[in-house]
Amino acid sequence: MTLENDFIVFHGNLQQLLDKVESGEMIPKLQASHAPMCKFFTSYYVISGIRHVVPLVHGPTGCPLYMSDFVRTRECCEIRGIPLEPTACTALNESHVIYGGEGKLLEAVKEAYAKYHPDLIVILSCCCSGIIGDDVESIAREAEKLIGCRVLALRSEGFGGDFRSGYEDAFKLIMELMEPPKTKMKGTINILGARWGPTPTEFNWDMDEIERLLGEVGIKINAIIAGGCTVEQLRHAREVELNASWCFDWGQKLGDLMQERFGIPYSRTGQPYGPEATKEWILGVAKPLGMEAEALKVIEREMEEVEPEIESLRQALSGKTAIIEISEFPGPIRALSLARMVAEFGSHPVVINVHPYTIKERMPSIKFLLEEGVNPEIILTKGLFRLGSFRSSKETEDELETIVKKYDNAIFFGNSGRFPPCPVVNLTLMNPAFQPQYGFRGIKNISALVRQALENKDLPRSRLFRGMLYGTRTN
Amino acid sequence: MGQEPIKEMAGSSTSSSEACTDPYLRCAFNGAALTALGISHSALLAHSPQGCEYLVNNAFASQECDYMETMTLCTKLCVDEIVHGGEDILARTIREVKDLPISALFVLSACGPEIVGDDIVGVCEALQPEVKFRLVPIESAGFRGSQYDGIDIAMDTILKKLVKDDVEKIPGSVCLVAPHANANPTWPADLAWVKQVLFRMGIKVVATLTHRTPIAEIENIASAETSLLLSHDAGQKAADYLSATFGIEQVCKGIPLPIGMTNTQRWLTALGDRFDILKTAEEIVAEGERMVMATCRRKWPMARFMYRTPAAIVADATVGIPLVRFVTEEMEMTPELVALYTSHRSVWELLEGELKSLGLNPKVVYGTDVYKTRKSLQEVRPRVVFGSTIERHASEGLPVAYVVEVVRMMRQFRMINREYFGYTGILNLLECVQNEWVMGWRSKERRYEAKW
Repeated sequence: MTLENDFIVFHGNLQQLLDKVESGEMIPKLQASHAPMCKFFTSYYVISGIRHVVPLVHGPTGCPLYMSDFVRTRECCEIRGIPLEPTACTALNESHVIYGGEGKLLEAVKEAYAKYHPDLIVILSCCCSGIIGDDVESIAREAEKLIGCRVLALRSEGFGGDFRSGYEDAFKLIMELMEPPKTKMKGTINILGARWGPTPTEFNWDMDEIERLLGEVGIKINAIIAGGCTVEQLRHAREVELNASWCFDWGQKLGDLMQERFGIPYSRTGQPYGPEATKEWILGVAKPLGMEAEALKVIEREMEEVEPEIESLRQALSGKTAIIEISEFPGPIRALSLARMVAEFGSHPVVINVHPYTIKERMPSIKFLLEEGVNPEIILTKGLFRLGSFRSSKETEDELETIVKKYDNAIFFGNSGRFPPCPVVNLTLMNPAFQPQYGFRGIKNISALVRQALENKDLPRSRLFRGMLYGTRTN
Repeated sequence: MGQEPIKEMAGSSTSSSEACTDPYLRCAFNGAALTALGISHSALLAHSPQGCEYLVNNAFASQECDYMETMTLCTKLCVDEIVHGGEDILARTIREVKDLPISALFVLSACGPEIVGDDIVGVCEALQPEVKFRLVPIESAGFRGSQYDGIDIAMDTILKKLVKDDVEKIPGSVCLVAPHANANPTWPADLAWVKQVLFRMGIKVVATLTHRTPIAEIENIASAETSLLLSHDAGQKAADYLSATFGIEQVCKGIPLPIGMTNTQRWLTALGDRFDILKTAEEIVAEGERMVMATCRRKWPMARFMYRTPAAIVADATVGIPLVRFVTEEMEMTPELVALYTSHRSVWELLEGELKSLGLNPKVVYGTDVYKTRKSLQEVRPRVVFGSTIERHASEGLPVAYVVEVVRMMRQFRMINREYFGYTGILNLLECVQNEWVMGWRSKERRYEAKW
């Protein structure tokens, strides 16, 4: 069908959107809109994913405190029961900005070692130390001679790159810890691309499902990099037979680098959403390890177990239009993986509001998905490009409601913060009641969520939450 | 006991004798944002890389802004703007938002643009004629100090830029200073209690610097006869400026904030004295104390069994100093460690006065960080800690019976604002203690399996 509306900025398929982004036609110009994390934050996420590491932030107190509060205390201690670990900081002040902070940094590394006895110290530079030109790498080298653990330095100035470069530079730095292999660990792999430690990845449940399935096949994991791995595991990371990723997007850079530099093959598959992608993911790991037969047995057994759910999903989704909006959380790659899954069950996927910025930042992954045949219909609306405010979210909500009305038999995949006039499948990853979404257990959970959405579509939605999110409506 | 207090450090709120710290306090940029976001019908533009926007969001939450009413913006500086300067992008961003229906746009500069020398004041002056709202530049780079220094910087700019000096004094009036520099996670309730008490005393509040404060109130601040500082961590500079520039006298100076029976009585009495309404103050005290006692008689807080239990207080000075007396007098515990995030001279003097008057001699740590707190807890080994979630985790492995989370250094979820100030405040604090006390009794092991 064709939608010709004033509020639609782009309507086509993923390939066409990618072409527009690549040609610079579809990059937002508004400076005050769409501000994801800075490079420092994302670097911190990755480094924090190594156990017993001290991230030593060479900067004022604002940035490290935000991160230690958000990542270490809340995400790790509060949610995952991990002991409180330090985030050290040189607390640069005006005088250091004028005269330089290298001397203080060297002292800080020595102090951090004496105080916390870590396995690794990573110096993270901030805007301040980056601009004044403190030589963090030299200080790291000098400090390493004086203390009993490795000291690495990471140039992570907030202005120094986008959020993606923070992840990638940090993953690249971690490679320095990987020692030449002394042996080969048979049937063992690394999982790449996790961050926010020290427990595995940001959504444990998905990683648990991956570990479960690999375990069933007989495949072992050396390290989840960097989702709670130890420095010792990182030292042995080159002894594995294969690298794989829990999410192709985050793992691919490190996978490519480890393949290029160390010759370790990397399994290229998308996220295991739905039966086909899950099969591909398992076989993508098992085949290179020579364990295809074992994997096929596991797949067959697991498929049998979820057959009722697969049938139920097929019946529920066949002939429907699946409007998929996972633009803010948990992200665009999941939205595209989901598009592939609903198509498998007979739906027509329409992905709404995948921000062109995220397309730009995830270019290799988007191209990979296109090569795999994932090329859903995409709609971008004006609200997406407005000044970064919650009012723009209301505008997007209104646009979504209008779009949904134009499709027959629509079903919405996103989160319950949207109120379209159709069944809503709440796929936010912040809902722990129906996790994981990966693998065969994911099929069971998604099936349950779809069933609930359809069966309960006539139940009233919360006026309270709607009013909270979008204000009191008069129309 | 019986020794001199150990003073680990003193100086400014952010200076440290150590090279490596694990801080409790955010940077000046965060404090400035917290202050600016307290002004109604305004927006905030962070002239910064996009990461600093997260500090603004944190300040947004602390100020309890309504996201349907308040907008925050960011220039999202990248390496190009650091190399070539970011003034153009700042100007472009201001032009982008020139139709916003606001009274003022606060432009806050972060570390990067200040080091490379972006002139946010110049840009704002140049663009002022193009926009309908007031442009207020605040130079608040993170490296200028802690969040408390940032509050002082922002208040200084706001007062110098917005206050009109041609206003008439309002007899019996007050302006409230720095209520937001308070680690009580529901501090707006403290402010509400202060306002309600002042209303009952017939004292007019001219302005609040800052919480949901219209620009008109700020402009009119010079009409106040007195100022009342609601923090021991920030705001003294603003009170001094108001005194020196507009002759606004500071009341309740040098008295701990009204947490606990004695502090509340002293604070209310000082107000009564100044405004010649001592009788009303005495009535409020008598009523309040009666209410607290009657409530406790009915509710019967079991936490009274903590008699002379060694306790630690880890907090900002605003909550921490008055808590010393509350813990000692109301709870009958013995503070053996007092660790404060800040270390201003005035903080030091106030705490030492309190300790002397109570006859206490605990270990005292000024300008504490997480490491110093953990080490002090290991050394002192208190059985009860009044602090934040951080202390809950930092106490792991120590013989701490329970941690009462009374301050917020990280997110703490409470839907209803509950004051610590005043008489209901005493009950709220007792409730926190009581609930932790009950939790401490909960068995971690099941003694037998149910039969059904």
